[in-house]
Amino acid sequence: MDEKTRLVDENGIRLDGRKPDELREIEMKVGVLKQADGSAYVKWGKNIALASVYGPRECHPQWQRDSRKAVLRCTYNMAPFSVDDRKRPGPDRRSYEISKVTTEALESVVLVENYPNTAIDVFIEILQADAGTRCVGLTAASIALADAGIPMKDIVAACASGKADGEIILDLFKDEDNKGEADLPIAIVPRTGEIALMQLDGDLTREEFEKAFDMAVAGGLKVNEIQKETLLKEYKKE
Amino acid sequence: MKMEIEEYLKKDYITNLINANKRTDGRAFDEYRNLEVIKGYVNDKAEGSALVKLGETQVLVGVKMDVGEPYPDRPNEGIMATNSELRPGASPNFELGPPRAESIELSRVVDRGIRESGAIKTDELFIEEDKVWVVFIDIHILDHLGNLIDAAGIAAISALLDARMPKYEDGEVIRGEWGGKLPVGRVPIPCTVAKIGNSIISDPSVDEEYAADARLTIATTDKLNAMQKGGSGTFTKDEIMNAVDLAFKNGDNIRKIVE
Amino acid sequence: MFKVKDKELVLPGQVLGENVLAGAYCFKENDLVFSSVRGIVKTDRKFVKVIPFDGKYVPKGGDIVIGIIEGNSTGGWFVDLNSGYTGYMRGEEVTRNPMQEDLSRYYNIGDRFTAKVVEVNEIYKCNLINPWKLKGGSIINISPKKVPRVIGKQKSMINMLRDKTRCKIVVGQNGRIWLNDDDPDRIKFAVKIIKIIEEKAHTPGLTDKIGNLIDEELKNNEKFYKKFYKN
Repeated sequence: MDEKTRLVDENGIRLDGRKPDELREIEMKVGVLKQADGSAYVKWGKNIALASVYGPRECHPQWQRDSRKAVLRCTYNMAPFSVDDRKRPGPDRRSYEISKVTTEALESVVLVENYPNTAIDVFIEILQADAGTRCVGLTAASIALADAGIPMKDIVAACASGKADGEIILDLFKDEDNKGEADLPIAIVPRTGEIALMQLDGDLTREEFEKAFDMAVAGGLKVNEIQKETLLKEYKKE
Repeated sequence: MKMEIEEYLKKDYITNLINANKRTDGRAFDEYRNLEVIKGYVNDKAEGSALVKLGETQVLVGVKMDVGEPYPDRPNEGIMATNSELRPGASPNFELGPPRAESIELSRVVDRGIRESGAIKTDELFIEEDKVWVVFIDIHILDHLGNLIDAAGIAAISALLDARMPKYEDGEVIRGEWGGKLPVGRVPIPCTVAKIGNSIISDPSVDEEYAADARLTIATTDKLNAMQKGGSGTFTKDEIMNAVDLAFKNGDNIRKIVE
Repeated sequence: MFKVKDKELVLPGQVLGENVLAGAYCFKENDLVFSSVRGIVKTDRKFVKVIPFDGKYVPKGGDIVIGIIEGNSTGGWFVDLNSGYTGYMRGEEVTRNPMQEDLSRYYNIGDRFTAKVVEVNEIYKCNLINPWKLKGGSIINISPKKVPRVIGKQKSMINMLRDKTRCKIVVGQNGRIWLNDDDPDRIKFAVKIIKIIEEKAHTPGLTDKIGNLIDEELKNNEKFYKKFYKN
């Protein structure tokens, strides 16, 4: 793409054929790993994420223990082969930040008081990345927690919207994200519509922000429908 | 960070006050503490610097510049990098060691506001092929009495506004001598609110932060450039739009002090 | 007033009823009661609870569990329960003078045994009493939430399993199952059946279905069948 290739054409159609408020194709499965207490696989456009949950289990190191509640620890990690230019293995500053906001989003729903002194560990592995990975990871982590039987107030769903070529669009893929003018990932508690995660990068007016926000919330609710379907699937087929 | 008994008790005390529409220092819910910005605090070595006192919180930001290679996809643009140190002397809860998640989050949120608003005119930092200026923004937390993000963000943009370009001659940076000012355009200001119960309060003090369920930082210029929600509570849409309005209002007031 | 039917499949955050009493794995917000897990809802007059499909074991007084010694302390042992919580067994359970004796003559790290859980406190510390060592055999793990199905109403399922597979089987509420028999093939067969029960735990009429399945398997595999009923 050298010349100013348009990300959204005059009919409002994007480079991958989607309409401005259309989600990429999403596929989800739970119970995909043997060792973990709960697990989930999410394929979202070209993103592939795997989430595993261990817990409640003994909390090590001991100094992290909390006698009032379980300690929830989420780690987001990208595999070196998940991106175009190989990523050096190990956590970088971006993954520390994503791990933190992911943990906080899930803390808003997990009933940690039920399991004092223990740890609930969530591991998110991004196996293939094409923009929006923190939303994919959090969406997977949510259903992995449900798969592990960890009591929660709701199933958190995440989705991002943004701005490209002056248009507010939903669920940006990599090319749009690279050349876009704003990126707004959010996570909702579907039952109440409250926001458990929100970040913004960009240059938006108040009106543009509100439009992008509403679009992301609507996207999150659609993602939640798929999450619920996935959790019920293995028990409904009889 | 484990809460000690004292902080446990403080949390209830603060929450009760807030529910009765009061704050410990008598401020209104949308009011900032006293803000003092001292530019050029350590400019014998740093290219630019600013000490910010926001209430009793103190943050010092230093700007250093060096020559480096540009990113391959932006060969004609300079680079910026932001880092923060939560120095152990600033709080009993800070320890020596590699940056923890809070420190990383702090630097990335401050960075976001500056980067996304284009505050540093990176296209004017091109020297020659494969050589551009790299701007290092280093946040040094000196005393943590609450709302480090705003204090650090205000100090960062102030230090950038204060910064001078190092002298560059015959392919070398001449330390101790400077040329013109660092080219700065828009002036982003981060404004953080905390949610305690159902109340939204601006510029939380350290005790109010303990009592808070969640916080929301919004960096503005004439538009919205960065946002970060933190903490394990949640926000409704109305609370978010209210925080947006507060960010524009308080941001404009703070910008007058900074510019 | 209930918003779901008895035995319906529910998910975390799903509303179960209004102005009803919240039981296990439910939480209340104002007048509404919600499920906190994925499972089956049970309604009973004004009362609602959820039986979860998944979850780790949490010590409950009265449970019979299978523990593994994981460490010593001066007067007793620390016991792994395949849970987020460790159990403790006092030396008094095996001898009158636990402080004077070398307790390793009774139990060592790695030993497996059944015991009863008692004295569970608010942070789930518990003691174990009436230990009975399990020698030999193998231990498998199933989801603790499926244990009631493996035992069955009035032990119908477990009795049928013991009968038809001829193995010694001990089921712990913490999801550990100990099996023993001279013939390893019988153990393998029993494990296979138990795993099927675990997978299909939510199906109605399971005891009969499993009974039929075992009969089918034995019928279709004559060599196996002969081996089975040889002794």
